[in-house]
Amino acid sequence: MAEPAYTVASDSETTGEEKSSSAFPEIAIGIDVGTSKCSVAVWNGSEVELLKNTRNQKMMRSYVTFKDDIPSGGVSNQLSHEHEMLSGAAIFNMKRLIGRVDTDPVVHSSKSLPFLVQTLDIGVRPFIAALVNNVWRSTTPEEVLAIFLVELKAMAEVQLKRAIRNVVLTIPVSFSRFQVTRIERACAMAGLHVLRLMPEPTAVALLYAQQQQQDVHENIGGGSEKIALIFNMGAGYCDVAVTATAGGVSQIKALAGSTIGGEDILQNMMHHLLPDSEILFSNHGINEIKSMGLLRVATQDAIYKLSSQNSVQIDVDLGNELKICKVVDREEFEEVNRKVFEKCESLIIQCLHDAKVETKDVTDIIAVGGCSYIPKIRNLVMSICKRQELYKGMNPLEAAVCGAALEGAVASGISDPFGSLDLLTIQVTPLAIGIRVEENNFVPIIPRNTTMPTRKELAFTTVRDNQTEVLIVVYEGEGEKVGKNHLLGYIKIMGIPPAPKGVPEINVCMDIDASNVLRVLAGVVLPGSRHPAIPVMEVRMPTVDDGHGWCAEALDRTYGSALDLVTVQKKI
Amino acid sequence: MWKNKVWNLTLLSTILRRRTTLLSISHFQSNSTSHFPPAISRTSNFDFLGNSNFPGKTFCSESAEKSHVHVRCWSCGNVANGSLFLFCDSCRSVQPLDQSVDYFQIFGLERKYDIGVENLEGKYKDWQKKLHPDLVHSKSEKERGFAAEQSARVIDAYRTLSKPLLRAIYIMRLEGVDVDEEETLSDPELLSEILEIREAVEEAADSRELNQIQSQMQEKLDHWSNSFANAFQCRKFEEALNSIRRMTYYQRVNEEIVKKL
Repeated sequence: MAEPAYTVASDSETTGEEKSSSAFPEIAIGIDVGTSKCSVAVWNGSEVELLKNTRNQKMMRSYVTFKDDIPSGGVSNQLSHEHEMLSGAAIFNMKRLIGRVDTDPVVHSSKSLPFLVQTLDIGVRPFIAALVNNVWRSTTPEEVLAIFLVELKAMAEVQLKRAIRNVVLTIPVSFSRFQVTRIERACAMAGLHVLRLMPEPTAVALLYAQQQQQDVHENIGGGSEKIALIFNMGAGYCDVAVTATAGGVSQIKALAGSTIGGEDILQNMMHHLLPDSEILFSNHGINEIKSMGLLRVATQDAIYKLSSQNSVQIDVDLGNELKICKVVDREEFEEVNRKVFEKCESLIIQCLHDAKVETKDVTDIIAVGGCSYIPKIRNLVMSICKRQELYKGMNPLEAAVCGAALEGAVASGISDPFGSLDLLTIQVTPLAIGIRVEENNFVPIIPRNTTMPTRKELAFTTVRDNQTEVLIVVYEGEGEKVGKNHLLGYIKIMGIPPAPKGVPEINVCMDIDASNVLRVLAGVVLPGSRHPAIPVMEVRMPTVDDGHGWCAEALDRTYGSALDLVTVQKKI
Repeated sequence: MWKNKVWNLTLLSTILRRRTTLLSISHFQSNSTSHFPPAISRTSNFDFLGNSNFPGKTFCSESAEKSHVHVRCWSCGNVANGSLFLFCDSCRSVQPLDQSVDYFQIFGLERKYDIGVENLEGKYKDWQKKLHPDLVHSKSEKERGFAAEQSARVIDAYRTLSKPLLRAIYIMRLEGVDVDEEETLSDPELLSEILEIREAVEEAADSRELNQIQSQMQEKLDHWSNSFANAFQCRKFEEALNSIRRMTYYQRVNEEIVKKL
């Protein structure tokens, strides 16, 4: 109690939300920043149009090269050869690295990339560096993403002949709110204002809603309801959504997602071809980087070929007397990646379960993203849904960005005389948000798949007699133990009037508003009183900063279970 | 309000007690103009604001004195043609929240328990297309606030009406009968029945057994839902409350099963 009053500053460095109240004359563009590739689309007044770079590409590689003084990204840069990207000078896969700490398994699996990903395994942000003239030049995923976004912005400005400020970006379902703030930060660094962040499959759902709307035009009041299952798997992430669509309104029923994608498939295959590759490449010498690059390209080629043929011959000289000469067939490929495919299946099953939808009620099955070309993926999606075919109306690589562009137009207040923009997505929370209670258990306050905006609350109480302080630690995720979830922030409540354990009521309320801003409120009430014993605390979350991985541990070390609380809610 | 204090409950009822209804933070913040935009309006949060300060009775008298037939649009001044006025058809502006409009009116339904749930979703989507905050992003701060409140209320209305138990509690409150969701279980027969089922759920060996219990619960829920409908129709509110009590407990067993499945 000798400590100064606990104050919490809200971290609003990353959002310019309040500034957005002015009218937008401009139409926000949609950007799909993929782990591997990236695209931009915009509503051109009558339809969605994908923008092309000067080399006439709609899909641009997501990377930034630090070769010269000025870094250049995959939008403007022309690679002389694929291997240039793998020379150590280019940083890519930033979407897998952004907002993660160095204890994260996803960061660890990125150590086999040609650039430097160094971890100290203590919960700080990893050290990421590009090799420039034999010097490891450090950078951050936010910086790399910002450089890339600046190029995309410049490209769009040249083509649309206007300044671009507002964007709708797609993000993976499994992104935590902390990761979202990092994306917003990168956008702010690039001079972009994020109008909306859409989970990728919900962007696809919006495109689907528009297509259905066009099919049933004239039917005012909105045709019959259609339920679609959307499976989206790219290089970095796998996402699933179930949406119920009628009259241009897409109500998201459930979301599920995981950090699993083409990159994992690629790494599994590399490991299969060269079992001790991690050890061989661990010291990141010039020659090792080159070998690693060669192996990566050869493996990638083989995976592409296995989508259309039954077996493939891999023949690659990695230097240092290392040669790989092997025939791999599809069966072997599927066995090597069995765990990846099982995870995909479990995500689909979970999503259908959460949506309370039977497979027979699903009208359309939509599979998009680069991995949807893999035969095994297509088959597993169809077999879970007991269908013979997938929805055909979409380009698997362009669906998400088209949806983002539609949302950009709708959110900018643009209307279309033909009703093509008469659309709406009703979003749900992709992950549960709750707090830590006794024994490191996680109690959700806002469950996942809750329609937004929302406000929920639960009551908790003390675990010790005369306990005057409690620590409310807020997490996001699905784990039953907090250790598996993402830390968002904490509130310490002090000055609880002394009372036997279980008597004070500590109410924790969580509010997600229309702009998807999360606020956590906490107050204390003693029995017999209608008024809070101490002022209510209100904190905008996430409050944690980079390198927050050690926070939970530090809290544990300092406070142990002394400030624990326990839920009043009894389960029956 | 504190008649069921945490520390003087019997052990059994402590187990059975589930605090979904709690002192609301918004309740003790209600004097100060709220610091945060009310994503969901206070009075509509029956599920967790269902404590005794809920203005169930006032709510009724409010809807009884529905006198604002000549409401004008705040934006264009157009006179609304009816009491239900969430959205101006003339200038397409979202209107301020009107608490006197009940959930049944929002969905254009007669105020009765037996409603066709199938048609709710369509109407819900129609409203969201007019009221959702995403669609007024470029409008004034004021109208964005209206949209957030209206849209949240329609979400609540949809959720309440589509779930039999929530709908039963709501319609009782509209009649001025308060449902104490915190009340402890005093009927020994029901208590032992629930404990037995609970034990069965805990000891269930596999999902097949759980599914079996679940379908039994569903049967009971349907049965008590019908009883409620009859009792409510005859305005036998004690009986209706009893049905709600039953439904509440069977519903919780179901939730527990879903968690385990």
